[in-house]
Amino acid sequence: MNILVCLKQILDPEIPLRDFKIDAVRCEAQRGSAGLVMNIFCANALETALQFRERHGGKITAISFGDASAEEVLRKALALRVDNAVLITRDNSGRIEPMVAARVLAAAARKLGSVDLILTGREAGDWGEGQTGGLIAEELDCPAISFVEQIAPIASNPRSLEVRRQTDNGIEVLEASPPLVLTITNHEQNVPRIAKTRDVMMAFRQPLTQWNLPELGLDPVSTSEVRAEIAALTIPQKETHCEYVAGESLEERVTAFAQRISAVLTSA
Amino acid sequence: MSNVVSCIFSWNGLDRAVLGILGCGQRLAKQVEAKHCIVLLGQSTEATLSELAGFADSIHVANHPLLVRYHIETTLTALTQACGTLQPFAILLGNDTYSQELAPRLAHRLGGSAAGDALSLEVKNGSILVNRPVYGGKALAKIALRRSPGVVWLRARAQAPAQPQEHRAEVCALTLSLQPDERIKIISQQSENTSSEVRLEDARFIVSGGRGLGGPEPFKQLQALADSMGAQMAASRAACDAGWVPPTWQVGQTGKKVAPELYLAIAVSGASQHLMGIADAKVVAAINTDRDAPIFSRCQFGLVEDYRNVVGLLQQKLSELRS
Amino acid sequence: MNRAEATRIVYWNITHIWVMYALLAPTVLIGGHGLYRHVRRWRRGQPEQRFDQPWARLNNVFRHALLQRATRRERYAGVFHTLLFWGMIVLTAATIVVLIDEDFSIRIMRGEFYLWFQSLTVDLFGVAALGGIGLAAYRRLFLKPKQLVYTREATVLLVLFFIILLTGFLLEGWRIAVTNDPWGKWSPIGYAIALVSKPIMSETLLRGAHATGWWFHLVLVFGLLAWAPYTKMAHVFTAVLNLYTMPLTPRGAALKTLDFEKTDSSLGVNSLAAFSWKDLLDFDACTECGRCTNACPANAVGKNLSPRDIILDLQRLSHSRTKLNEPLIGATPSLSEDALWACTTCAACMEACPVGISQMPKIVDMRRYLTMEKAELPETMQAAIASLEARGHPFAGAQYSRLDWAKGLNVPQRSEVKDCAVLLWVGCGGALLERNQKVIRSITQLLQKAGIKFAVLGREEKCTGDVARRLGHEFLFQSLAKENIATFERYQIKTVVTACPHCFNTFKNEYPELGSQFQVFHHTEFLEQLVREGKLNPQPRPNAKVTFHDPCYLGRHNDIYDPPRKLAGMSVKSPVFEMAQKREKSFCCGGGGGLSFVDEHPTQRVNRARAQQAVDTGADILAVGCPFCMTMMEDGVKTCQNGQSGRPMQVMDVAELLWESVHNGQIDEDKKIS
Repeated sequence: MNILVCLKQILDPEIPLRDFKIDAVRCEAQRGSAGLVMNIFCANALETALQFRERHGGKITAISFGDASAEEVLRKALALRVDNAVLITRDNSGRIEPMVAARVLAAAARKLGSVDLILTGREAGDWGEGQTGGLIAEELDCPAISFVEQIAPIASNPRSLEVRRQTDNGIEVLEASPPLVLTITNHEQNVPRIAKTRDVMMAFRQPLTQWNLPELGLDPVSTSEVRAEIAALTIPQKETHCEYVAGESLEERVTAFAQRISAVLTSA
Repeated sequence: MSNVVSCIFSWNGLDRAVLGILGCGQRLAKQVEAKHCIVLLGQSTEATLSELAGFADSIHVANHPLLVRYHIETTLTALTQACGTLQPFAILLGNDTYSQELAPRLAHRLGGSAAGDALSLEVKNGSILVNRPVYGGKALAKIALRRSPGVVWLRARAQAPAQPQEHRAEVCALTLSLQPDERIKIISQQSENTSSEVRLEDARFIVSGGRGLGGPEPFKQLQALADSMGAQMAASRAACDAGWVPPTWQVGQTGKKVAPELYLAIAVSGASQHLMGIADAKVVAAINTDRDAPIFSRCQFGLVEDYRNVVGLLQQKLSELRS
Repeated sequence: MNRAEATRIVYWNITHIWVMYALLAPTVLIGGHGLYRHVRRWRRGQPEQRFDQPWARLNNVFRHALLQRATRRERYAGVFHTLLFWGMIVLTAATIVVLIDEDFSIRIMRGEFYLWFQSLTVDLFGVAALGGIGLAAYRRLFLKPKQLVYTREATVLLVLFFIILLTGFLLEGWRIAVTNDPWGKWSPIGYAIALVSKPIMSETLLRGAHATGWWFHLVLVFGLLAWAPYTKMAHVFTAVLNLYTMPLTPRGAALKTLDFEKTDSSLGVNSLAAFSWKDLLDFDACTECGRCTNACPANAVGKNLSPRDIILDLQRLSHSRTKLNEPLIGATPSLSEDALWACTTCAACMEACPVGISQMPKIVDMRRYLTMEKAELPETMQAAIASLEARGHPFAGAQYSRLDWAKGLNVPQRSEVKDCAVLLWVGCGGALLERNQKVIRSITQLLQKAGIKFAVLGREEKCTGDVARRLGHEFLFQSLAKENIATFERYQIKTVVTACPHCFNTFKNEYPELGSQFQVFHHTEFLEQLVREGKLNPQPRPNAKVTFHDPCYLGRHNDIYDPPRKLAGMSVKSPVFEMAQKREKSFCCGGGGGLSFVDEHPTQRVNRARAQQAVDTGADILAVGCPFCMTMMEDGVKTCQNGQSGRPMQVMDVAELLWESVHNGQIDEDKKIS
């Protein structure tokens, strides 16, 4: 099974609210003190791929389309012993148009050849659009299944996969045949592992394939298309003011709290 | 004249979510002077059509056997065909997981733009502007869709519900040419909720637990409290990730978006990603040992205590107040 | 009778003495081989430098072996062991005197020396030794404390010693009886036995019993000497060696620094081959006394961690294994992963050990293997590591930035001033945990009041790496450390004051090996000095009872106990109430070793146990000196208050107490002036 895992590098979404600042003109978050990290769902996807390869064999290629700094994310993937890593850098900056990302990643998949499974995170922690995975499927004319938690080969039909994914009602179990795109969501079984120190030390010496857009057969028109634009970006003002329930003793405080809850329950 | 299409599949009755989508469709159609069309896929009965007839200008029905159960590729193909014939200006969907995965692909097939998690929509200079939270809920973006149709999945329950109109919708049958797609087969679609439980998104009262509970056991205590309040249980992502509770309980950016009358968060710190899931909650209250926990910034009232000292006592006090 | 000629006939009543010399050969061979095997095992270990500063090392041997200082820290065991130890020393000396007198014909066993030493002193010390055995036997057979290891070997050894000593006295007594020794009274015990035996035993019987007894006694002694190196009695040899080679640095410097340039060997320890020879010696020095497990706070709350069993299991594996690369972790229940992850690195085990074993560093060595070679550690600890890598602090989910605490205080940042006398290192706990921000504010206000020219690094601070290191991630620790050292060098920082004992310990004991060159003080040391210099004037707060919890990383790790107490004492009118477990016996708050990132089972919370001890003093205020202690104790005290009436106990940092006493005093003075 040849697995391609798409990794996105984003600004650390865990920075405290007070440190989060935006550039209202460029309509994006300011770098500030935030580090650059691998999107958590991409990390879940990578973990899913690693577990699959551990149990059932296969090869994993990690790929990232972004700024030159995205190499860090690929080095992390190499430290987790992916078989190959590919970096595709872009010329512009700012929000990556999902359509463009999908075209680039699909072209890379074609160039790599015989890719069975493409894993992406369900969405990214910056813009949270959740489109890229599905659009890659459209570009490659293959099915896509989203919000996947677990995958395993099917005993009776080794070319197929059993895919468990989350829906509003519960878990859906599907049988799917590659080639296939899966967008991965967080689950207690796919918490990203940390890398072994030796592998981290080695990761920097591993080869990294770098492609530019012409090498992928992409013209500037298709990679500069804009389907949606950020017209404005603001930080919402805090509206609520919290009343901390008071009282001399614990019992008094809980009673007061209960009264307020009861008021909402009965008036709703 | 262009069309604004509200998509409905997996019919569960005229619930708050459907009314929200239809409301948005109605208002948008009016604003751009378009026809409001409902595309209804799956088995639909006369009763269904009758219920919907008061909320749109036309209902386009496809009762294909392959659409009885949701199948991503088949449903997508069906929607593409259905919407394709209508050449819409906008296509509206809800925020269920199926809609989320369909929207971008549908937009691609129709040559349009997609956006999601919309809190509200506007139209400016012929373009749809979608207002949605981004950066884990820390910022609000206004996204301008540059291509048509604009395919948008909405926070359905946050939209003002549709108003019944005077005229009845015209019902048309859609002819779809669908083949079974063997590339994906459905093995099971199990529901984790028992039939008596309300879906979290529709729950009126919710009790939610977070990392501070430390394990699965304390959730039983919270469940008892929730049961006594007639509330549903939910949890933060940390609790779900730790395997203490099922992932269907997760509320937040990548979990359920809930809109209850009361959301009681116990030992939940309130990271912005979690707050994204309760943006539409009316009253939020919290119990947390940390007075400066971000959850309190979203609360109307709060109790700075250790939940261990409070939950049992709170349940007792609430039952006293009831009687 | 001329006292100058007082003596006794050596080998009286004994014939065929050559048999004794003949038996000496196998004794020496077998015993010697036993000792040789120990040494050979140690030599399989990695190199380590432990033979520098001989005088300091001999001093350790003098204090703890000869004077039995460490052994006497536990009263009952200290008494019986000292009696036994000194008894055996004197008896051995007496035997050497016989050897010198008889085999080398240097006639020292005469006259006053014979009477006072060889007879009286030896008898008294023999009785002392018997008394020691009696106390030890009572403890092992009747009191049965949990901390001991109950093996047949241990009981047999006790019995053996007892019989050897008893027979020694009997032989003495029977000799005195038959020879009508004129100097008999100088051996009071022997004399008493003679008095009792003479009426009931004929001379023939006495002689026969004496001869038989003598050979019996000899066989037992030689047997013991041959057998001893194969038992825990080897500690006579190994403990002395271990005390000689024990670390001369503070306990806070106990962890080894790895060189990542040379890593063909494994990172961390999961095999005997990866331990150093000193570690292997540690295993053999263990006397099975169990004090380490007794002192371990994790063990006290019921966790699976037992330092004693870790060392003894490793000892057993070291003796029994032929393949040195077999894994150690998980080889026995005591070496399980959850035992290793339960350790708070408080070093109570090291403090308690009477023979200088370093238990805690071996646990960290094994953690290093788990974290760096296998990348397997408990999930919440892993989250702390991930946070350190992504944002330079271990508190995933923290909602504060590094300078939020400084709002309104006009605190200079190092990047904005030309220089500063003192760099105040805030630390991750101080900046990012809301409760600890108040402590940092108190410290900065005190420094400002004292007129100290200080600055902070603000966003340029990265975690010192203490958490990473204790979790076994030496690689991450070194990379964080190097970044901080580079920052310090860039700003030419020479003096650092820090509010966190973990930061303090890492700066003081662990950074120098990586190239740092600055002085560091814990805030309590620094503030206490300011008070002594008159730069701060605390006015004691009346009617507040204060108790103080010694932070492990300040106290046991660095032997700093007095400055924080003094500060607490200066801030209130009454003296500091001490908990029973104080100073070097302080009971860990449970937050070290990465444990503050773990949700412990409710029945196994170290902090709750310690909080109960604090609450039991009846004090109003629990003073602490560490952000981890602050968090753990506040949490612990809350659970103790459950169901208790009376005023809740407040947890405050010593700096907060001091600031209140300085600050309020100032206000009072102003009032006086107006």
